[in-house]
Amino acid sequence: MIPEWMKNEDTYVPPGGGGTFAVRTIRAIGGAVGRLQFQQGHEKKYALPALVKLFILVAAILALSLSHHRLVMLAYTAVLLLYLCTWPPRDIGHILAGALAAAGLTLILVLPAMFLKPEGVSGNLNLVWKVFLSVVMVSIFNHTTQWNHITGALRRLHVPGIFIFTLDITLKYVVLLGRFIRDVLTAYIHRAVGRNDKKYQSVGGVMGLTFLRGTEMSREMYEAMRCRGFTDDYKGL
Amino acid sequence: MSLIELKDVSYAYPGETKLVIKHLSLTLERGWCLVVRGDNGSGKTTLFRILNGLAFPVEGRYLFDGTEITEKYLGVSRNSKLFHKRVGYLFQNPDIMLFNGRVFDEVAFGPRQMGLSDAEVEMRTKDCLDLFGIADLADKAPYHLSGGQKKRVALAAVMALNPEVIVLDEPFAGLDGKTREFLGGFLAELKESGKTLIVATHDDRLQEALADQVLEL
Repeated sequence: MIPEWMKNEDTYVPPGGGGTFAVRTIRAIGGAVGRLQFQQGHEKKYALPALVKLFILVAAILALSLSHHRLVMLAYTAVLLLYLCTWPPRDIGHILAGALAAAGLTLILVLPAMFLKPEGVSGNLNLVWKVFLSVVMVSIFNHTTQWNHITGALRRLHVPGIFIFTLDITLKYVVLLGRFIRDVLTAYIHRAVGRNDKKYQSVGGVMGLTFLRGTEMSREMYEAMRCRGFTDDYKGL
Repeated sequence: MSLIELKDVSYAYPGETKLVIKHLSLTLERGWCLVVRGDNGSGKTTLFRILNGLAFPVEGRYLFDGTEITEKYLGVSRNSKLFHKRVGYLFQNPDIMLFNGRVFDEVAFGPRQMGLSDAEVEMRTKDCLDLFGIADLADKAPYHLSGGQKKRVALAAVMALNPEVIVLDEPFAGLDGKTREFLGGFLAELKESGKTLIVATHDDRLQEALADQVLEL
């Protein structure tokens, strides 16, 4: 029997404000998952093969690392920024944000050395600059190359199959779990019709649920692999 | 005034031009039951996302109780909360709805959000647990329940909010005969009490028992 209160309508006036945390998180996760899932970036139909791009990337990073000349770094900066100028602002933002974060982290790490040995400041700043440029280059490569082409290139370089397989599976499950978190938060918003004073408890619940789901997914995948003859001895792709 | 009106609604996923829903118009009165049918990928879940304010038409208008539901309208926190209070949604996958540590807390989540007194929260939660036959699971973790039990808990959590419209996406999916029978009876009782139902189902018996309107996608 349906209880009496369920047969009547509530006179409910929700409080204003709040509720933006989950919406913002959903948007951020949705964006990240979308980027990973449809990671086609700016790869053009007649682009250089991924293997060639990978070689160029490794060579460029090596050359940059070995160079002590500031002019080389300036040249790298000029070329990269000029190239980025042709990109949509949103992508430029993503790339520069990542590179600046990496450079910032490096700066924090080398700060003690800069204080302890002031004469080495210039070298340390060069290091920060190199990190920035390297991350920009890797991000450009990542944006302009499809994920499956990257793993294909790694395979052709005879990178061990287990490494590529782990990389592929990791990416796949990051997408799946990202989608799962997005869906849980969507369902959360649907029932978060008032003021949640225990927001962090709910966030903890979502994180715990994701952890459990992740564990279950890895177990299910392992079992599915065993059912198809996997015997803990990975044969290359 | 009709409770729900879709006027020439079309929808395409962001960044795509192909329409998943094409020029759909429908009107649903208070207390009616709309059964939505269609093959996999026909746009049922997308339609439900629109009806629940989770996606927005690229063309056409969606009116709920005379108010146009747009991203801007739901961007106002108070509007969004009131809308979600009035429209309850049982997702196809109950797993994503259960994020609390105990079944009791899961069901009590909505009433607590509404700012009801502790006694009212307790009363509503117990009523829902009893109604769905899950009182003995109150202290269990939702994650470890069976599929049918999770569905009951998820529905109890939705009903604890006492929404006017209940949208159910494939409520029978993955359920055993006994739970189906229970759920069918519950929905009939709910309709009798004046609630508006929107159900995606392939179950002919449920359609026959409940539908005032059938939409084939």
